[in-house]
Amino acid sequence: MNEIPMFAVLFLFPVISSLPVALAWIYRPGEDWARKLPYLSVFGLFVSLLISLNILFNFEEGFYSYPWIEDFNINFVFVVDYLSKYMGALTAFIAFLIGVYGLEYMRDDYRLGWYWFFFNTFTASMLLVVYSDNLFTLLIGWEGLGIASWGLIGHWFRDDDDIAFVGTQGRKVGPLEMSWSPSTGGWRAISTIRFGDMPMFFAIAAIYALTGNLDIHSIPWEGMFEEIGYVGTVALLLLFLMGPFTKSAQLPFSEWLMTAMTGPTTVSALLHSATMVAAGTYLFMRLTWYIEPWELNIPGLETIYLLVLFLGLISALYGASVALGLRERKVLLAASTMSSLGLMFASSAASFWVGEAALIVAFWYLIVHAFAKASLFLVAGHLIHATHDRFCSGNLAFARKMKVAFAVTILATISLAGIPPFTAYWIKSGMDGVMEHLVADGMLLPFYLLVIVSLIYSAFLAKFLSLNFLKGEAPHHEHTEGGQLMKLAYTLMVSMQIVLLAIILLHYEEHASHFVEEGFLTTSLTVGILVTASYLIVLFKPAVPAFSRIGVFLTDRMYLPFLNDYILPQIGWVVIRVVDACNRGVDFFFHTAIPSAFEALSRAIRSIQKGYLRVYMKIVAGSIMLFLVIFSLMGW
Amino acid sequence: MILVYFLLVPILASLLAPFLNPKRATHLVSISFLIPFMAALVSLFQFSSYDFPIMNFSPPIGEFYILVDPVSNAFGLTVCIISAMVGYYSFPYMIHRFEEMGLGEEEYRKYIIIYGVYAASMLWLVYSGNLILLYIFLEISLITSFLLIYMYGYGNRRWVALLYFVWTNVAGVLTLVGFLLTAMDNSTLAIKGISAVGMTAWLLIFVGMLVKLPGLGPHIWLPWAHAEAPTPVSALLSPLTVGLAGYVLLRMYLIDSSFIDTYRDIIMVYAIVSSIYAGFAVFRQTDYKRLLAYSTVSQMGYILIGLCLGTFGLIGVVIQYMSHAFGKSILFMTAGGIIASYHGLRDVRKMGGLHEYIPSISNAALIGFMNLGGILAIGMFGEFFILRGVVDIYGSNLMSYLPLILALVFIFVLSGWYSFYTLRKIFYGTPRGMEKPRISRYLDLPLYIIGILSIIFIFPPLITVLLKGIKAVIGGGI
Repeated sequence: MNEIPMFAVLFLFPVISSLPVALAWIYRPGEDWARKLPYLSVFGLFVSLLISLNILFNFEEGFYSYPWIEDFNINFVFVVDYLSKYMGALTAFIAFLIGVYGLEYMRDDYRLGWYWFFFNTFTASMLLVVYSDNLFTLLIGWEGLGIASWGLIGHWFRDDDDIAFVGTQGRKVGPLEMSWSPSTGGWRAISTIRFGDMPMFFAIAAIYALTGNLDIHSIPWEGMFEEIGYVGTVALLLLFLMGPFTKSAQLPFSEWLMTAMTGPTTVSALLHSATMVAAGTYLFMRLTWYIEPWELNIPGLETIYLLVLFLGLISALYGASVALGLRERKVLLAASTMSSLGLMFASSAASFWVGEAALIVAFWYLIVHAFAKASLFLVAGHLIHATHDRFCSGNLAFARKMKVAFAVTILATISLAGIPPFTAYWIKSGMDGVMEHLVADGMLLPFYLLVIVSLIYSAFLAKFLSLNFLKGEAPHHEHTEGGQLMKLAYTLMVSMQIVLLAIILLHYEEHASHFVEEGFLTTSLTVGILVTASYLIVLFKPAVPAFSRIGVFLTDRMYLPFLNDYILPQIGWVVIRVVDACNRGVDFFFHTAIPSAFEALSRAIRSIQKGYLRVYMKIVAGSIMLFLVIFSLMGW
Repeated sequence: MILVYFLLVPILASLLAPFLNPKRATHLVSISFLIPFMAALVSLFQFSSYDFPIMNFSPPIGEFYILVDPVSNAFGLTVCIISAMVGYYSFPYMIHRFEEMGLGEEEYRKYIIIYGVYAASMLWLVYSGNLILLYIFLEISLITSFLLIYMYGYGNRRWVALLYFVWTNVAGVLTLVGFLLTAMDNSTLAIKGISAVGMTAWLLIFVGMLVKLPGLGPHIWLPWAHAEAPTPVSALLSPLTVGLAGYVLLRMYLIDSSFIDTYRDIIMVYAIVSSIYAGFAVFRQTDYKRLLAYSTVSQMGYILIGLCLGTFGLIGVVIQYMSHAFGKSILFMTAGGIIASYHGLRDVRKMGGLHEYIPSISNAALIGFMNLGGILAIGMFGEFFILRGVVDIYGSNLMSYLPLILALVFIFVLSGWYSFYTLRKIFYGTPRGMEKPRISRYLDLPLYIIGILSIIFIFPPLITVLLKGIKAVIGGGI
């Protein structure tokens, strides 16, 4: 039972260590001593890192459980397996480095308590999601991710600084202003996520009702799917996957991710690499890992995996195209993340036909992407600090002043684009192999989509590099001194690419050698060369004025914001108006109509009691006549 | 057994309180509720379940006794902790209110005794082992809360108080008639003695409690009462009082579930419509307290839904009551905090960016809304068991009930939406250049105590014993 306390410290310590700064900021915001407390928070992240490394190297693979609500068979169950041990270490490492970076980046912020509390909660929640085998334990982490991301995206709640906005202020498309403030960004994130989380919550409750079990590894998946039949399987998994789809910003739920860039850059870096968006794909991988759909013969599963495959690829295509058109540093990277997540989903879904190997590819892509994307975001944050500009700007002269950032960007982009022989190339080769396998099964489209996405992907990475360091406009404002801690953080982050490359090429890991084999196949090499060509072309020609109309269409994200900000809210407001009218009606009926009817009745009764004989005579005569009429009508 | 004697403490304390100065009276009353809170908690941990006889009456009234079991302990400890915390909160708030109304501090004597009796009557209600006893406490809580609204409310408080009185009296009378019919059939009203509840009696009790809960239609009294009541009263009225209708229905269901079983689908659809309707109504409210009142209507829909969903639904009802009580009391107190800091500011349109000035209240509101949305607070379990219940009851015929299930899921989505929409409208966005007030610790610390409780309730050992105990009463489990 030595492991359980270790897990408890892993999850709780980051949160507890950030409480001092959170409390200090409620009651004594901005005092000098309170500005030192973030070091304690980062120490908490460091402890988590140590524990996760300990789990990686010293824990035996298996399941560790601690009683929670035994009567209902809901317990804390943590898993250490191939997926979780690497993912946990990755999360803790990236969070710690970003934490260090944040010490400098956020030093003068007006709301440190909020920032560090949610930053550490974010990390802890992700670790909980990573190591949970029990779906309810996982849900706690899942909800923690949601609330922490809301807090961090809307961190600069004052909405008073243009640097924190997304979009161009004042630019209108139809009735919609293409500009979003931090508090709007937070609201968009949590509302989208809520829309996916609740169906997933229901699906988990349904799994619980059907099997009486919530531990992913021991749920009798096959029996359950057979019991509920085709429709049941499709409905259940679709509802379940609403959670991962919204968290990982697949179409049509991608909008929140773009406006999530209103948060501090450190948040974007963490949100886009190892937490939050990765949680969706990670959960899908974890489920697939234990369902082992390639072993089963369930028609419902095939439908679902086919859906995920194409949804992933189409989202990847959308994200990559949009990124090609965007000029905001962080939003460009956000769109690219969406694209990568699509590829991860697609590749894991392909495991239905290909087997476990496809899952391994997706997982390795997640790792490579996480380090590369975190490096790029951290660089982007430094650039924003240095130039006070959200939009890409920078030329060679600027690059000379920001040598470290420049070098890191080069390394990160070429590692991520899939240019041989750098890290992502080997993984992408694996992915090419997976999609080729599908071609053999009669599905041509996935492979071509993957190639197109890869080309566009490397193009916008080159564009990012070029517009920020080579061929962009000269920055209006330059503040290139300092930033040592930031430089240290992103240098370390990007150097992980070299470590990964070594792991792959030197066969330190059993699955990695497979990627190397794939990398020397003709198809992979061809794709690699095409990708390199696309990278180089765009590097020298990052903007083509002739395509500016298409560019605007892409910059407006193919007008998807309309769905989120106009169509759906309009429907909502119509319902709200109807409800409001009904409320007024009911209120009037009960509180005005009935009382006044009674008042009128009372007045009428009182009006006849005036004491005049003629009034009473009239009433008597009238009643007699009325009776006579009634009797005669009744025929008596 | 000691719990039973501790139940007397709040009553004695409230009677004693007027003789002390306001501050001491507050401490006395609040602590007097913390004592039964601890006792209920201990009793929950011991899984105690027993009757404590008080008196015997001839049929058809039957035995009066105190009913202690995990369900009444769960409701009881919620009533206690919230009454205690709102008690502390009342002190600066009501003094401020009296100043506003031109009354002296002397008025606090009147207030504290009515407040104490009001809260204690709800506590006794959940431990009542006889329906007549239960009805008596229901009426006491009604009259005391009526008085508090009538004397210290806002706006057209006399009209609102009267309206509240009429509506809840309608509810009370219908329920009483239902109880009496039950008494005729069973020749006792002791809960343990009743074996069957006739359909007419059930219908009357159900409709009566529906008015009090309230469901769609009768809900219209609630926004008036909750908005115009003095905030500490709102903070008891909405979290505790209305939900007790759910408690009564739960007890009736445990005696005889025939009515719900027969009309399950109709009630379910009505509850869902009611919840969604009220959820949408929240968005357009401009008065913060009125907004919270509509959210109460929506949340009470959950309770009605839970009632229709078998044993797991019933577990959901208990947890939902607790979670809503925690969350809504925090939220009403934040509304009061804004009122006290900004001279009666209640108009949401004039708020915005308030986090800048009152961060402690803003953060408490976040915890409150997290409770409503079931995010990292005990409400999570409520939602989970309700969802589990819906699969049990309607899962076998998935396709034909899919709309119903999706509507239920949508309710939870909606509650999250209005929570964060409201948060954003009130506390975030560009600050409006207001002054930074000094917040009394009495106005924010109680909120955090409730908030922390609602969060530690999802971890062992609290949730473990709570669910184990409820299961022992209601049944269920794997």
